[in-house]
Amino acid sequence: MLPLSLYFAWGDTRARYRRSVLGPLWLVLGTAVGVVGLGFLWSELLHIDKSTFIPSLSIGLVVWQLLSGSILEASGVYIGNARLIRNVSAPLFVFPLQLLLRQLINFCHNLLVVVFVLLIFPPPLSLNQLLVVPGLVLVIANLFWLSSLIGLLGARFRDLGPLVGSFMPLMFFLTPVIYRPNQLAMTEFIAWLNPLTYLVSLVRDPMLGFAPPVFVYQVSVGLLISGGIATLCILGKKHGRVVFWV
Amino acid sequence: MALLKFENVTVQYPIYNAKSMSLRNKLVQIGTGGIVSQPTAGIVTITALDNVSFELRDGDSVGLIGHNGAGKTTLLRTMAGIFMPVSGKITRDGRVATIIELGAGLDEELSGYENIYRMGMLLGSTRSEVTLMVPDIEEFTELGNFLQLPVHTYSAGMKMRLMFAVGTAVHPEILLVDETFGTGDAAFQSKAQDRMKTLVGNARIFVFASHSIDLIKQFCTRAFSLEHGRLMEVAL
Repeated sequence: MLPLSLYFAWGDTRARYRRSVLGPLWLVLGTAVGVVGLGFLWSELLHIDKSTFIPSLSIGLVVWQLLSGSILEASGVYIGNARLIRNVSAPLFVFPLQLLLRQLINFCHNLLVVVFVLLIFPPPLSLNQLLVVPGLVLVIANLFWLSSLIGLLGARFRDLGPLVGSFMPLMFFLTPVIYRPNQLAMTEFIAWLNPLTYLVSLVRDPMLGFAPPVFVYQVSVGLLISGGIATLCILGKKHGRVVFWV
Repeated sequence: MALLKFENVTVQYPIYNAKSMSLRNKLVQIGTGGIVSQPTAGIVTITALDNVSFELRDGDSVGLIGHNGAGKTTLLRTMAGIFMPVSGKITRDGRVATIIELGAGLDEELSGYENIYRMGMLLGSTRSEVTLMVPDIEEFTELGNFLQLPVHTYSAGMKMRLMFAVGTAVHPEILLVDETFGTGDAAFQSKAQDRMKTLVGNARIFVFASHSIDLIKQFCTRAFSLEHGRLMEVAL
């Protein structure tokens, strides 16, 4: 089913930019504007050195777009495919997978900005950079169960979409995207209560050349196992009902 | 070897209104132990198929007759495995293709060619298998250069041609077609008829819902009549 989801995701991406001149580059441009604008503004406001702040911010923003994009769109993932679900018997997980792949295609576009920033402000190169791979795998796996679950609940309870939508802007500030958890000093533990903090660290820390703390991996794997099992149980019980909900 | 067997199948489905879809209502219900709001508030359950039994084997072509709302489309969806029965047993052996709602599964923004891949893969073929089907689909649909245009430029009949061509090109063992099929013009109908004949000749199962008894007589050898969710076999 992976090729099917991938074809769907690719079709979405193509359809969205069909008659636009810059096409998917608009995404890159948007992220670049955000990084440059926020980078200079916040580094002045917070009196931080640009060469450490801008790389951290740009990776944070790009990862955040992957996380928030997947979570925001998840509540509509089955509702949006209602006609398909009602008329073709396809396995349900195709749709969250399609969402995730579409977000990953966007993510790959945005990585251009990160590469560009890291060329200007090179981080110390070490073997730690290789930890990006397991980090991304953990992020993607966690997003997969999360978007399947939110999609299922969102199909049954139509308030969930707007509810998630109103919390995500707040989450942007509660998650260490602009800042880093250790800058919170005394209240660092608050940031670590937020699961999204772990997902950002998994990708950002290795890219900047240092290994995330071990507990980041422990919590992320724990989340994956508990969330994955919970989602499988709920989906197993309710997958026959989704067609009546959408 | 295709098989489709229903044993005492009952399908019920809930219709939700805004009240029952609301999270607040559910929370109040949980918080008050269901005292404040009635547990079934706003959910109406409809019995769409009532104790339906039949057996279809290779080479069976069946017409579904019944007035609007009799359960024809529900029966097709249950045959396809889209609706799950609340009781009874369904045995299904063979690859299923459905042509139920006009345009379902098509992405209107994408071109006809891209949609051939989309539909084909959705019906369980691999990309390379679809590539092999393309010439046949081009020939059958007679859409020519329209296949390069986005599907939102197509008329209902053209969409039908595309859906029908892909639905039959994947060589389904069980083909389920709803009455939207009637949108095609006379030339398409006769071409479709030939195609159906080959499909049925290749020992496959074909189920076709329609209000037109003439169409059913053309395509089918058996007929089921549905009334308020109950099914009876009738003579053609």
